[in-house]
Amino acid sequence: MFRNSGATLVFRTARVMGRRALFSKRHADAGLTWCVKAIIGLTAVFLLLPVIITVVMSVDSRDYLGSFPPPSISMHWFDRFFHNAYLWPAFHTSLLLAIATTAVATAIGTLAALGISRMSPHLRDPITTAFLAPLMLPGITIGFALVMVLSAVDVLPTFYKLLAGHLIVAVPYTIRMTLIGLSGISRTLREAALILGANERQAFFTITLPLAKNSIAAGAIFAFAFSMDDLTISLFLSDFNTYPLPVALVSLMRSSFDLTLAAAAVFLMGLTIVILIMLDRVLGLDRVIGHGIYRA
Amino acid sequence: MNVLELKNVTKKYGEHVAVDGVCLDIEKGKVLSLLGPSGCGKTTTLRIIAGFTSHDSGIVEISGKNVGHLRPYERNVGLLFQDYALFPHLTVAQNVAYGMRYRGTPSSVIPSRIKQMLSLVRMSGMEGRYPAQLSGGQQQRVALARALATDPQIVLLDEPLSALDAKLRVELRIELKEILRSVDATTIVVTHDQEEALSLGDEVVVMQAGKIVQRGTPTQIYAAPADKFVAEFVGRSNWFHGATRDRFTGGVSSYITSEGAEIRAKSAQSEQCGRADLCIRPESIELVEEAAGAIAPDPERNVLTGVVFDVAPLGADVHVVIELPGKTRLLVIRKNIDRIPAVVPGQSVRAVFAASDVLLFSDRR
Repeated sequence: MFRNSGATLVFRTARVMGRRALFSKRHADAGLTWCVKAIIGLTAVFLLLPVIITVVMSVDSRDYLGSFPPPSISMHWFDRFFHNAYLWPAFHTSLLLAIATTAVATAIGTLAALGISRMSPHLRDPITTAFLAPLMLPGITIGFALVMVLSAVDVLPTFYKLLAGHLIVAVPYTIRMTLIGLSGISRTLREAALILGANERQAFFTITLPLAKNSIAAGAIFAFAFSMDDLTISLFLSDFNTYPLPVALVSLMRSSFDLTLAAAAVFLMGLTIVILIMLDRVLGLDRVIGHGIYRA
Repeated sequence: MNVLELKNVTKKYGEHVAVDGVCLDIEKGKVLSLLGPSGCGKTTTLRIIAGFTSHDSGIVEISGKNVGHLRPYERNVGLLFQDYALFPHLTVAQNVAYGMRYRGTPSSVIPSRIKQMLSLVRMSGMEGRYPAQLSGGQQQRVALARALATDPQIVLLDEPLSALDAKLRVELRIELKEILRSVDATTIVVTHDQEEALSLGDEVVVMQAGKIVQRGTPTQIYAAPADKFVAEFVGRSNWFHGATRDRFTGGVSSYITSEGAEIRAKSAQSEQCGRADLCIRPESIELVEEAAGAIAPDPERNVLTGVVFDVAPLGADVHVVIELPGKTRLLVIRKNIDRIPAVVPGQSVRAVFAASDVLLFSDRR
């Protein structure tokens, strides 16, 4: 589509200029294809280069932040990260928070999506919009609003405040993903289960849940990723004792900018890769993130 | 003993009456076709029998037991869905076994029963396949095996052949009939496709606007439609609207159509005066070339002269459209083997049909 319209445009221009034989449609097509490939390549480099530099710098043997590339390799920045009294507890909090957020958001999101998917169409749309509304708000707004409310009724420990903040944004993700999955499941499948003798509960566990499994998992991944990554909401809700890793990294960056940051970043990347491999083993990654979501 | 009995069943959606006082019964081992255009209430009726939809009033009995308050899984009804509704994450064998698991079939019997059902629908050896790996026709067979595996008291087929292509449809129709007969299944086929309804059903029930208009054998439905709607819906037909001119002896009366043609119709009914709709089936019309000479006048025969507008040779049949004076078009279907006359567009022909082949529907109804 893009190729054709682009080529047509070039072709027309060529015709207007009266050089039709010199610049054929076929050449225009080939040229355009090359351009597109170049753009894709440049984009990939742009996206990957910082990651590569971070990975390389994290194994820098120098004790200070030197220029790229590092002269020799050492793992001492990692060692510092693991023994950093400020960052390591932050990582613990982050991991715990992300796991809790994922578990609660997935449970709430799945149930909410199930309810929404069975509503009549004129109710379904406004309610879906209402549930997804937090995604429209900037994190700053949510964080600030939560601080106002939670400090007025100061009953929750900091960890639960953070959990509440993360859930506000994570739940819409899990609802959205589960809804996409459920919409691909034909109503007749559930009815087929019922007419074959399964009651509603059995039909849910044997038909609906296995079929929606992949999109629920995708929602869970989004929730986990959001929670691990969130800075804006966490910034408002953290205190001196309980703070997640992004908050710790930012304040460390301000106070003493060294390569412990790079080590932490690489560690997080590695963790992500491990999680993705695990998911791939359990569910099949392409099915979780790819076309599986849209298939019945 | 009737396996299923609907007594005065009514279902309303707000102001709209989807099913309006339907009475229906079906004997063991019979196949009943529920035929009607979309929105006539046939699908709602099916869903009421299956238990997916609750009716507002009336009684639904299966084997003499009122099942009106029972959930779908508390009834023993088999349903073949229009889209087959095979569970995509389960294999063929698991699909067929699904119902047996919940209907209390002893687990020692299940494997042999799966084998038996799959061989019945000629799908042996496909146990390990997933639905996505099967063709449309194969999916339908598996869906049928799944529906029959629990030995349901009544089997409902929802537009069973509509999703298949024309050629496969004919093959599967015959097979479907054979399978249903071999397991002695009491069956209701819900369809808007007259061919499906007439070919599968021992009896056909025609529905319109939530009501049953006619019930009869396929032959009765086609040859003696109860009213204009049935005549129009089942089979092809040519329609004229006319008023009585005079009455002949032997129950033949003469009508002048709104286009000015004269058509004689034979009817045993006494309602031969006033205005009426006249229906002529396209296959009861014969074509006679102008060159064949004069046709002897016969009060029981109609002769209309027109010009051939279009000739469509559709394999076994030839569809000829004739334009009569006043721009009325008449469809004539002849067997290809008749071949005579070999008409061409633009040619003048005479359409000849017996007065007894004219179906008469008086306006008073």
